[in-house]
Amino acid sequence: MTRRTFAALLVTALAVAALPGAASAATIPVRVRILKGSRQGPAAVDPRLADLQHQLGKLAYVKWDQVGERQADMDFNKPLSVALPDGASLELTLVDSRKDTVTFDVRVAARKTHSRLTIAKDQRIVHQVGGEKDGSAYFASIRPWP
Amino acid sequence: MTSDLCLRWAPMIGARPGELTPEEEHGLAEHLAGCDGCVARLADETALSGMLSQALLDEANRRDFATFSDGVLARIPERAWGGAPGSASAGHGQGGFLGWFRRHRAAAVAAVLAPALAALAAVLYVGQDHHDVPEAAYVEVTSEMGGATVLDTKDGPVVLLGEGEPEGT
Repeated sequence: MTRRTFAALLVTALAVAALPGAASAATIPVRVRILKGSRQGPAAVDPRLADLQHQLGKLAYVKWDQVGERQADMDFNKPLSVALPDGASLELTLVDSRKDTVTFDVRVAARKTHSRLTIAKDQRIVHQVGGEKDGSAYFASIRPWP
Repeated sequence: MTSDLCLRWAPMIGARPGELTPEEEHGLAEHLAGCDGCVARLADETALSGMLSQALLDEANRRDFATFSDGVLARIPERAWGGAPGSASAGHGQGGFLGWFRRHRAAAVAAVLAPALAALAAVLYVGQDHHDVPEAAYVEVTSEMGGATVLDTKDGPVVLLGEGEPEGT
């Protein structure tokens, strides 16, 4: 056993230990869609929302339309503001990302609501962002790595 | 002259200490006191025993063990004990800590690799983020305008604010 071999082993161990941290990307692409759900009307789901059908099907709203969309490469701890049809805004912050999960902060100032959600990388968040009015309400769908 | 008593006691002549019971020793002594033949046998036995031990000792003395240790050392490979005292290989190169490593390369490599591999395994295990379980979505909602409802689905959480009321819940 030489000093050189020992040094090589030590460097390898340090490199392996540093791998998980190096795997974290500086930015994460995020797709935000604004949805409108209605209790009235014929049951229908916007074809663009087909990937959300399982989550939307849990709700009492029967008609779903996509009314807005925004895609951005989000930096950590830098809020992304998304305008809502009712004049309010949704503030989305990427808080943390690990091997299989990502954590978002969702703030709706008009509703004085703050949520912190940790999801798997292949999941998406459906979050109500406005109160119900005339049987309709706005939602936001948040999906990392769309 | 040989009598029946001689036939009984003669086999006990020359017995080693402890081989005879006290009664047998006493009986033998009484017989020897009155039997010249058995006394003569005892003298022969004693002489023979002394001659045998002396013969063995003489045989041993004829062997010369003076070179025995030299012969043993000559059969041991030089590298196993660092060379003869005063020889060139018995100096700084072969002796000491490094010399031991050179003579036991396999053991030295194993002794260093075992803890290194254990440390590497520990680093790999700790490096894995065991908290990243996809199913364990964590949701924390605070709202100053009414309560919130969180539905956990396999595709992700659904957060309802206030009056939102899902079917079947």
